[in-house]
Amino acid sequence: MKIEVKEISKRFGATLALDSVSLTFESGEIHTLVGENGAGKSTLGKIIAGVYQKDSGTILIDGQVIEYASTYEALQRGITIIAQELSLVPSRSVIENVFLGIEDTAGPFVARKKLRERFTKLVASSGIDINPDTPVGALRNGDQQKVEILRALARNSTTIVMDEPTARLSADETSALKRLIRDLKAKGHTIIFVSHFLNDVLEISDKISIMRDGRLVRTSLPSEENHNTLVEAMTGAGFGKAFPEKSASSQSGTAVLKVNNLTAGNRFKNISFEIKSGEILGIAGLVGSGRTELVRSIFGVDRFDSGSVEYLGKTITRFSPAQSINYGIGFLPESRKDQGIIPARSLSDNISLPHLRKLTRFGWINKSAERGLVNKFFALCGIKAASPQVHISTLSGGNQQKALFARSLAGSPKLFIADEPTRGVDVGSKRAIYDLLTAQAAAGMAILVVSSELDEVVGLTHRVLVMREGQIVKELAGKSVTENEVLEAAFSGKVS
Amino acid sequence: MNLLRQSLSKLAVIWALAIVFLGLTFTTDNFFSVMNLRNILDQQAFILIIAGFATIVIISGGFDVSLGAIYILSPIVALKVENSTGSLLYMILAGAAVGIAAGIVNGLIIAYGNINSFITTLATSFILFGLAYILSDGSILSISDIETRSFVTKKIFGITSATWMALVFLIISWILLERTRFGRSVFAVGGNIEAARLSGIRVARLQIIAFTLGGFGAGLAGALNSIRTTSAQASDDFSVIFAVIAAIVVGGTSIAGGSGAIWRSIAGVFFIAVLVNGFNLNGIDPVYQRIIQGLVILLAVGADSIRSKRNT
Repeated sequence: MKIEVKEISKRFGATLALDSVSLTFESGEIHTLVGENGAGKSTLGKIIAGVYQKDSGTILIDGQVIEYASTYEALQRGITIIAQELSLVPSRSVIENVFLGIEDTAGPFVARKKLRERFTKLVASSGIDINPDTPVGALRNGDQQKVEILRALARNSTTIVMDEPTARLSADETSALKRLIRDLKAKGHTIIFVSHFLNDVLEISDKISIMRDGRLVRTSLPSEENHNTLVEAMTGAGFGKAFPEKSASSQSGTAVLKVNNLTAGNRFKNISFEIKSGEILGIAGLVGSGRTELVRSIFGVDRFDSGSVEYLGKTITRFSPAQSINYGIGFLPESRKDQGIIPARSLSDNISLPHLRKLTRFGWINKSAERGLVNKFFALCGIKAASPQVHISTLSGGNQQKALFARSLAGSPKLFIADEPTRGVDVGSKRAIYDLLTAQAAAGMAILVVSSELDEVVGLTHRVLVMREGQIVKELAGKSVTENEVLEAAFSGKVS
Repeated sequence: MNLLRQSLSKLAVIWALAIVFLGLTFTTDNFFSVMNLRNILDQQAFILIIAGFATIVIISGGFDVSLGAIYILSPIVALKVENSTGSLLYMILAGAAVGIAAGIVNGLIIAYGNINSFITTLATSFILFGLAYILSDGSILSISDIETRSFVTKKIFGITSATWMALVFLIISWILLERTRFGRSVFAVGGNIEAARLSGIRVARLQIIAFTLGGFGAGLAGALNSIRTTSAQASDDFSVIFAVIAAIVVGGTSIAGGSGAIWRSIAGVFFIAVLVNGFNLNGIDPVYQRIIQGLVILLAVGADSIRSKRNT
């Protein structure tokens, strides 16, 4: 099935998300849409799948002009979308999710046996093997995605739009997904792949369409592009290196945090390390290796069983986020949407929230002191917004993330724990965040970075701890750290 | 144009109130008279006393249906105290104490038991109603000194003292919500409880305080109302809770928590009050009044949901 879009435009309120975009998706190709957040790549994918309706322009399927007003109608034409936020029913089983809405029935009843047969056939033809009876909520992210793909196949989709499919996957899950995408292509499916993970894009695509500010910059073959040319086209400017120069790691700095034999059930075990002022320490590892659990316990969100934590030479006895913020520890959570922003409130409210104690007298908020603090960190973090009074939900992902940095840094922390600091952030904001972190470290802040992005771990940090199955299996330091070393340890580091 | 649309949607309840108000002024003879308007105002006093703090509970992401039961139990305890001590002060304190105690229990269960607030307060409602029957022995309790009625009915600048008390309560709840750290935390917890926790807000404590305030408002309103009616019994009408929730929702405070305002609840209370007054002046059968009221609530919430869908 060949899909052509011609002069498609789409407006959301004041922003023109798509500005007269024309593109052709040939049958059976993996066609990637890349661009920064807000470039219009997801919007285009969603219009093709019927999630959004175009304002103007035409869509042709196999040369015929087609109008459709919903995902259901798009599905009738064989087009499905797998959205960034998966749309499965977590409490129900895999098989129920796959056939949801298209169950075989006998009268009013579901024909269970027939469904099983169909499922077996589906597994055989797709090569995706997954237990049909497991509740979807119990599966890993990567497997949930497989269920989505099975669901699309069960509906005889020939074209699958995948919106940022690898964003929530660990490295091994990502490579499994890439294999699966190639298999689907080999079976004649068209894949429209929306992503800003450039390595994935270069590796997997037959064609790459680069978008910027709602327009198509160019469509090219992966052999004609490399990391730098893509970034240049996406940002519209020569970009230089992805990472700032590392500051000299201060070997003489004082230890800010010292963790001794920290253990919490089966989440992590015997964790010991220390971090000095001025140091950026990375924690790498696969999703589920205990990285997030460890930093959450250090910050006082979750309990641990044994071990101790020293902060500035003193053993911490009471753990809670409130206590940690008091000590001068900043924390950037893993999920911006679920644990970070308060969507219905202003940027200002979002930034000042943890620091209100310092800004209030007898419970009364000192508005001018608040404004002073907010403005300072609004500027420092380079947030692009009309004013600190706008609702945070109106900002792009990158700017929301910068606002969360402003929130943490406004406490002038001595230790800053950042869990996935650049998740879901566009290339331009990424560099700004790296610059910010490097500058803070140079000024003496100790920074603990948990990251799934290997280039980030290698490019940003002075030293890397690799975790596997809840333990630190390797410590890597110096300029010689490579992505391969980190990956190797993450996959097969020796667990005691 | 954009500005107009924005103000239209943000101030929807105000526009609706204005339209109903003007409509009744021009179509109904007795609506726009000082006496009628004062009556409307005075009749809302007890609902407003509850609504201020109940709005805080809802913005914090909680839902308290036990306010109706507190409103019934509190005057029974309060009148028992009044009967045995003869003191109006003790009576009011007792009523408030019942609300505070119930609120603390609700808050503790919700915060530490991790039970959904609607379910928790539904369950405690049954318990509170039960206590009301046990304490009153199923009979009517009356105030011993009828003269004390003037405490809530006395006119000050033409408006009853109860209405003035409501005003004080609303100002306090407005200040709490908009000017204090507590208020910011209420919005944060209702808007994103995980983010609030990670920002160092003591979520459990905040929930307990919110439900305690809610209970306090309902307890006090119940006691004050029994001074006006001079009596109370366990089988009294507890539908005040529906009026309060309807007003908050019609005003535009999100039932999901995280956004809302005191002025919205005030506008919601008066919108419904003016509507009902209009029905009465036009002699519409109370049965139909209820149906229309229900439709109005659905319309208000439906419009809100369509609006927020369009904005995303």
